[in-house]
Amino acid sequence: MNDNGSVQITIDGQTMSVPQDWSILEVARQADIEIPTLCSHPDLEPFNSCLLCVVEVDGRDKPVLSCGTQVRDGMVVTTDSDQIRHTRRLALELLLSEHCGDCLGPCQLNCPAGCDIPGFVKAIGEKDYDKAVRIIKETIPFPVALGSICPAPCEEVCRRHRVDDATAICVLKRFAGEEDLKKEQPYLPEVAPDTDRKVAVVGAGPAGLTAAYYMRQMGHCVTIYEAHEKPGGMLRYGIPAYRLPHETLDAEIRTITDLGIDVRCNTKLGEDVDIEDLKEDYDAVFLAIGAQRSRMVDLPGIDSTRVWGGVELLESVTRGHKVTIGDRIIVVGGGNTAIDVSRTAIRLGAEHVTVLYRRSREEMPALDVEVEAAKEEGVEIRFLASPVGFEETDGGLKVTSTRMELGPPDKSGRRRPIPIEGSEFTLECDTAVMAIGQVVSPNCLDNCDVELTRWNTIAIDEQTMQTSEPWLFSGGDAVTGANIAVEAVGAGRRAAASIDQYLRGEEVVGLPELWSVSMGALDEVPEARFAGIEKIERHKQPELGMRERVCTFKEVEMCFSEIAAVEEARRCLECDCSAVGDCLLRQYAMEYGADLSRFEGKKREYSLDDSHRDLIQEPGKCILCGQCVQMCRDVKELRVFTFADRGLGASVTPYLGLSLGETVCDGCVKCVEVCPTGALISRKDSQEVSDPVES
Amino acid sequence: MNQTQVIVGMASCGLAAGAQETYDALNEALSKADAEASLGLSGCIGVCFLEPIVKVVEPDGTEWTYGNVTAKRARTIVQKHVAKGDPVSEWTFESGEYAKTFESFTNKQVRIVMRNCGEIDPENIQEYLNRDGYKAIEKAVTSMTRQEVIDEITASGLRGRGGAGFPTGRKWQFAYDASNDTKYIICNADEGDPGAFMNRTVLESDPHSVLEGMMIGGYAIGAEQGFIYCRAEYPLALKRLRIAIDQARERGFLGENLFDSDFSFDIEIRQGAGAFVCGEETALIASIEGKRGMPKLRPPYPATSGLFGKPTIINNVNTLTNVPWVILNGAEALAQYGTETSKGTKVFSLAGKIARGGSVEVPMGITLDEMIHDIGGGSNTGKPVKAVQMGGPSGGCVPASLFDTRVDYEELTSTGAIMGSGGAVVMDEETCMVDIARFFLNFTQTESCGKCTYCRVGTRRMLEILTRICEGEGTMEDLDTLEELAEKVKSTALCGLGNTAPNPVLTTLQYFRDEYVAHVEDKTCPAKVCRSLITYSIDAEACTGCGACIRVCPVDAITGERKEPHRIDPDLCTRCGSCYEACTFDAIRVE
Repeated sequence: MNDNGSVQITIDGQTMSVPQDWSILEVARQADIEIPTLCSHPDLEPFNSCLLCVVEVDGRDKPVLSCGTQVRDGMVVTTDSDQIRHTRRLALELLLSEHCGDCLGPCQLNCPAGCDIPGFVKAIGEKDYDKAVRIIKETIPFPVALGSICPAPCEEVCRRHRVDDATAICVLKRFAGEEDLKKEQPYLPEVAPDTDRKVAVVGAGPAGLTAAYYMRQMGHCVTIYEAHEKPGGMLRYGIPAYRLPHETLDAEIRTITDLGIDVRCNTKLGEDVDIEDLKEDYDAVFLAIGAQRSRMVDLPGIDSTRVWGGVELLESVTRGHKVTIGDRIIVVGGGNTAIDVSRTAIRLGAEHVTVLYRRSREEMPALDVEVEAAKEEGVEIRFLASPVGFEETDGGLKVTSTRMELGPPDKSGRRRPIPIEGSEFTLECDTAVMAIGQVVSPNCLDNCDVELTRWNTIAIDEQTMQTSEPWLFSGGDAVTGANIAVEAVGAGRRAAASIDQYLRGEEVVGLPELWSVSMGALDEVPEARFAGIEKIERHKQPELGMRERVCTFKEVEMCFSEIAAVEEARRCLECDCSAVGDCLLRQYAMEYGADLSRFEGKKREYSLDDSHRDLIQEPGKCILCGQCVQMCRDVKELRVFTFADRGLGASVTPYLGLSLGETVCDGCVKCVEVCPTGALISRKDSQEVSDPVES
Repeated sequence: MNQTQVIVGMASCGLAAGAQETYDALNEALSKADAEASLGLSGCIGVCFLEPIVKVVEPDGTEWTYGNVTAKRARTIVQKHVAKGDPVSEWTFESGEYAKTFESFTNKQVRIVMRNCGEIDPENIQEYLNRDGYKAIEKAVTSMTRQEVIDEITASGLRGRGGAGFPTGRKWQFAYDASNDTKYIICNADEGDPGAFMNRTVLESDPHSVLEGMMIGGYAIGAEQGFIYCRAEYPLALKRLRIAIDQARERGFLGENLFDSDFSFDIEIRQGAGAFVCGEETALIASIEGKRGMPKLRPPYPATSGLFGKPTIINNVNTLTNVPWVILNGAEALAQYGTETSKGTKVFSLAGKIARGGSVEVPMGITLDEMIHDIGGGSNTGKPVKAVQMGGPSGGCVPASLFDTRVDYEELTSTGAIMGSGGAVVMDEETCMVDIARFFLNFTQTESCGKCTYCRVGTRRMLEILTRICEGEGTMEDLDTLEELAEKVKSTALCGLGNTAPNPVLTTLQYFRDEYVAHVEDKTCPAKVCRSLITYSIDAEACTGCGACIRVCPVDAITGERKEPHRIDPDLCTRCGSCYEACTFDAIRVE
């Protein structure tokens, strides 16, 4: 030690002279060495509880807490090693295993595009529609299209189900998009300066347009090649106009192409342009060719001209071709395409439309609302029936089917249909339509070595969307087979990130997974989470009258009025944590690769104290760092928080069992500033929408 | 003294065995018999397995000690011995069946800490004074410097009896050297581990020796105020401590200018609310200060910055009880017992499946085998002893194969156990080692203050893994995770509670890993304890159809006609073991 009261210490090889009353952590901060800690706010005394700040000190056989260990002359400290990282990671995994809360809303986690749903819904609740659109377009370029047709996986997991019904997320998204399209100049995101990198996108469906949208924003020069006469892919050719009007789709696609994207329609890969040429002319290629042909099974008579493929029929109708299908139609399949075909047939004037589905109503993948609408429009659905052969008759088609029964569940978890012997029956019709799935047509890639899967889809690395050819990326239905549009949108954005990395010569890793602690699946969330939440009926969309519905292709489901949208948005339970952006626990957990599923077991109890006008406490997210106790008791000299109970039940709670509102808390929210998680939040940072709904 | 004295051992162990009924019966019988005899009380002599104990001192000083004195026996003793001078010798330790037992039990013991236990009335200071009470503090204050007192304690080799074994003299020296006008001495009487009662025995039987030890410590370091931190769950100890403090003040042993010197000293009792963690010294200090009992990182150690930031010494009850004896008898007298590094004696609470359970005081260096078999008489079930849990929930399990280990701080530590405060829970072959590890961990986990991550959550996850294993749901991966967590909690948790909590798990994993593996891989519990892994059935050959099992079964799972073999319905059976206990024909099979 020197006479002036300082000591020499070596930290990560760096020798420093520091005051003798410093802790190792203070030295590290001085030396710009990052040591993680959750319980040592620079303005407060360290509490020595989180144990993340462990370091190694020469001559000590156990890890040393840097926040609570004073320096000594000659001390040699190592702040990073495998052992240290292991100790820190394990501590983080333990903290996460007791953490009761959600970083991100379950809706966002279940959205294949990863859309910040709570964010845009809240913005709508605050009537800030511009903000809502900005948030949506960070992940989804088509709020109106998806808002009109998405089966909404987000709503399936909406916590509001436990109170009444899911928030109408999808319609709200559409509402925000429609508000935007009403403007003279809809929202256009900023485009980064040109990078001089060129990318070709093959296919202007949801995957291709999305990838183009984000790559263009990154400054790359994007050209889309599209086989059809117009962009949109399945959104245009696979979705009937009564679900998504073409004018709306056109307007929305313009908000993408207006960024400066060249779309070359009527240009078919393998015919008008060759993959080798694209490789030659561009720095990278994104293949989003979809799955555009109906799957036809090998049944007697399937080649009859009276047997159509579902998507082919829908496409013909969209393109305005004259389609003659007659009065009696049999549609085979149980998905949305089958329903789209049946409702389209009604609009084409068919009198008897029968859907044959080999499983029962429960297993039917088509959207409930679509199925109900189809029935209302007069479509008959026969369950547990599957065709075994077709035979042309004089002016008609005889469809022989067999009845089915359900056996044990198959790999998809749905019960496997088994034919009942001798149960054949015959139906007469004019046209039969096979809508049992779609296949990819990869023959456009014949002169390319790209690897395919055994289902003839394009093989990729799921994380990076990269194919076996490093310059070639792929996503959407071409990879997954027929799937919902929002999956393709997610794939497009992931591909954009990977292609950007590829073009910059970086390691191609794709987008990071969304990282979130979760309170669990819908049925696992503690009942306390829903205590005191008032039931508010979900708003319904206005619908076109039945008379007009069945004979036109006018849009059936209309959007919310502004009042309905704002009210609906305020039904959102805001499951996401308002501290998610600056939560140290989350930040360290991601940095140290903490495994969220490492430990199972009892978590902290859920509770919420919102009795105070400025402050909200959610003890399930508390990590017992004691910083709030210290800030309030020692700095402010107020008695608001204290510790209670032992073991895993130990908690920080308002004094004497009071509620926060009953304590002497003056609402300075300094405790919020020092809280490393979202256990204490300021009302300003959270919800509270006070202005009336009516504008 | 020319009348017969009848003295009843009335410490908690005696009272639990029915000493109050015995006392009342004696009182009534003595008044009826019109015998010339006084009735008094004493503490515990450590022979807890023979409580209630009554001592009869004849007018000529001849002593007879009776064991298992029920109210009925008490009346007989008054009629025969007190009234007629005819001892009921078959019930005494001096002859008859108890004599051999008592002899084996006491033969290898050395009484220093427990020198007065059971020998004096703890509520009467005169009896303490009659046995050189308060002579040591007088000697220290009147004829020794503070440094000489510390040197004497240092020379005796006395180390902390609370468990960690820090040399007492050195601790005192730190506090003595710390310059401050206010210092404190605290007696840690917050004994809280399951199965341990070494401190309680002394507090209830000889409270003055604790006060005197504190006074000497206070004198040595320069403290004028002492605190006894004792949990409210020890009401009798607290009562007797209060009586002792009052009597000591009355007699001028506590107060200003003691022994006409400039040394003043007083003692206050602080009652704890029964948190195990408050036995940890920084948490104990926080508790006395009126704060939540939560440990802090050391250093600074209390000897330099303790209670209210002042230099503070914290000593265990049994450490302090040694002190007056050392001052009076000299350092050498203590140092003659023990090993190179562990001097004097150590009091253990022999508990669990032990034939002769009680408080035993053994010279350091004695082997565990001597303590458990020679003194304790082996197991109380006839089955071989399998292991002993040394040091309570913070300690570890020492297997019988290591019973040649000596009672020595370092030797015990090398087994993975610790000396600890003195709990010694004996286990036989019907004890499941996974279940026992779970039992102790359950205790420490619920007693964790919840402050640090590894203790609050780590021990909880360990407990959940152990529970899974006991229920037959564990995996080999669980075993690895358990070990990984145990090592990390041990090396990283903030305080002693957390650092030692994994010890029962680590030692049972080290010595009885096969039992863990049997639970995980074979889904069996070798000791046939874990309910999820055993089934009960009735051996039709052995069953006489007596119906005893049917009567005790709480869930009506057993059926059968009288004198016909009975049957257990495995679906209804909750595996409580009641039938097994009730069957006198050994017909209940546990698989």
